[in-house]
Amino acid sequence: MKILRIGPLGITTHQRTFAVGLLMFAVLAGLLVFALSWGKADITVLDSLKAAVGIPVGAPGDFVVGQVRAPRALTAVLVGATLGLAGAILQSLTRNPLASPDFIGITAGASTGAVVTMWMGIGASLWITAAGAAIGALVTSAAILALSWRRGIVPLRLILAGIGLGFVAQAFTQYLLTRMDVHDAGTALGWLVGSVTGRTWTHVTVAALILAVLVPVVLWHARALRTMEMGDDTAKALGISVGRSRVVLSVAAVLLAAAATAITGPIGFIALVAPALALRLTRNAGVTLIPSALMGAVLLLAADQLSQLMPATLQFPVGIFTAAIGAPYLLWLVWRASRGGPS
Amino acid sequence: MPRRALIAIAAAAALLIAVALSLAIGARAIDLATVWEALTDLNPEDPEQLIVTDLRVSRTVIGIIAGASLGIAGALMQSLTRNPFADPGLLGINAGASLAVVIALTLGIGGFAAQVPFAFAGAGIAAVIVYAIGARGAAAGAPVRLALAGVALTALITSLINAVLLVSDSTLDQYRLWVAGSLTGRQSDDVTSLLPIVIVAVIAALIVSRPLQAVALGEDTARALGINITATRAVVIVVVTLLAACATAAAGPIVFVGLAVPHLARALVGASLPWLLIVSALGGAALVLVCDVIGRVIAPPGEIGVGITTALIGGLIFALMARRMKVVEL
Repeated sequence: MKILRIGPLGITTHQRTFAVGLLMFAVLAGLLVFALSWGKADITVLDSLKAAVGIPVGAPGDFVVGQVRAPRALTAVLVGATLGLAGAILQSLTRNPLASPDFIGITAGASTGAVVTMWMGIGASLWITAAGAAIGALVTSAAILALSWRRGIVPLRLILAGIGLGFVAQAFTQYLLTRMDVHDAGTALGWLVGSVTGRTWTHVTVAALILAVLVPVVLWHARALRTMEMGDDTAKALGISVGRSRVVLSVAAVLLAAAATAITGPIGFIALVAPALALRLTRNAGVTLIPSALMGAVLLLAADQLSQLMPATLQFPVGIFTAAIGAPYLLWLVWRASRGGPS
Repeated sequence: MPRRALIAIAAAAALLIAVALSLAIGARAIDLATVWEALTDLNPEDPEQLIVTDLRVSRTVIGIIAGASLGIAGALMQSLTRNPFADPGLLGINAGASLAVVIALTLGIGGFAAQVPFAFAGAGIAAVIVYAIGARGAAAGAPVRLALAGVALTALITSLINAVLLVSDSTLDQYRLWVAGSLTGRQSDDVTSLLPIVIVAVIAALIVSRPLQAVALGEDTARALGINITATRAVVIVVVTLLAACATAAAGPIVFVGLAVPHLARALVGASLPWLLIVSALGGAALVLVCDVIGRVIAPPGEIGVGITTALIGGLIFALMARRMKVVEL
């Protein structure tokens, strides 16, 4: 087991984790090139890369790549990474592979907050939607914590409380939908499916800014997170301020999930699957943050490309795609767990 | 008189009060004397009496059908899976019925009678899937696992429903009202046509309750008592499917009634399944009516569909149940 030390941040990592991370990065880059250059309009790979970074290549590349494909693909990458990271943090904090923001009610709360802004007619600005989503997610998480707190937190209890409150939030969203006119309700519903279609550079900028703020915070506490997986007492003995790290990391995970929801609508299962796959590839003992984020980006971008490859009648938003693939995966997980005793 | 009978009578009294509230309270409050007159000696000139007979009676009947069906279906599922979190709404069975109804709406299959078979098919498929996944093997249906299987199935079905709805605005318009769970969207004749199915299912539920109770004690015990385990389980799944589909067709997908009511009923009457079914049916009907009445008055001048009020209240009950459980029970 060799430990690599990267830069002043002093991130230590296993060699295999590092190699897998590099590999995923390469896959992501390849997918990105494919996403930019492949499509109905015939644009060379070189031209599409140029157009994506803003170098004029003339019609149709300037518009098709510069304004459509590039923001869409980058939104998918950034939101996928955000979801993967949020899932990894929550799974590590709860020490449960099934805790992902879309199952424990956080995404549902974020959706409700965002739909409230649409219902009030102020949802046109992405920042306001994001703020609504963040408030909704934070309120829901606080309620989940309050309901599941009983001389400390038991992860399974937290998950069940989250499932219950997720239904409450969903019911509230549905109520708001019946209170809008049918056109707005259609727009809100389209948003609630989760999609990266029609996203602009504004979305990319917002996603990038949010990640730029939250990722350093998360990485700063990464060591605490890994240590806490060994148990609170061990972590305390090693000098980790367990309480503060847990609060910071939880809030960061909730905000990441809320940001992803605000930008693309609730996209399910990425946050559940990405950390699990990253774990399998890296064969790490605990949840790995950066590989999970990379895996989330790869998965969402790949799912979006897959949805575009479908015949015209089956071209649904990527949120439907991830659910159609991710839900059977979860059912399989549950089914497999039922063979080996309690999960 | 045995304690259980007293509790059943109390539940019946609660239902009676809920019925009275449901007939009297609404956008226009009508005093109980007028309600009684409308039911016994209708004066067709009196608009208040016509509100009762034309609108509120059918709405109340629909509420009773949906609530009683869900109460029984929940109690049966909890027994079958030995899992306190089993609920046709939470486990995606109602969602399966919804998906099938949405498909029927999109195919242009109009009319309630034509949609009901779709609801049965959808609910049946979802019931088999969730049972197969959540309740197999030795540690059948650990609570969290079954709840997660239900959540996953619901997520899958919801995304499929959304896929259909995105294509058609007219389906969306009908669906968004229906999915909010309302006792007003359906014609009363349509819903009373469900009544024979519900009655047959309830009788079947009562008949199967004794063998099911034996099965719940353990397969060996049941076999020793000469009970056909497979047949019992199959009958229970069919009955649950029928009840959940009827409730969903009548009032939209309602969650948590089938969870909360049997849970409370069990605390009162204990493990005796026949009594549990009776009290759950009465309590479920009462809960749906009360939730409907709350939805009528909470946001004037509009109303909140009963599916939303039950989810708001039931979701909290669910979370509180999770809070009370001991760690080993999870």
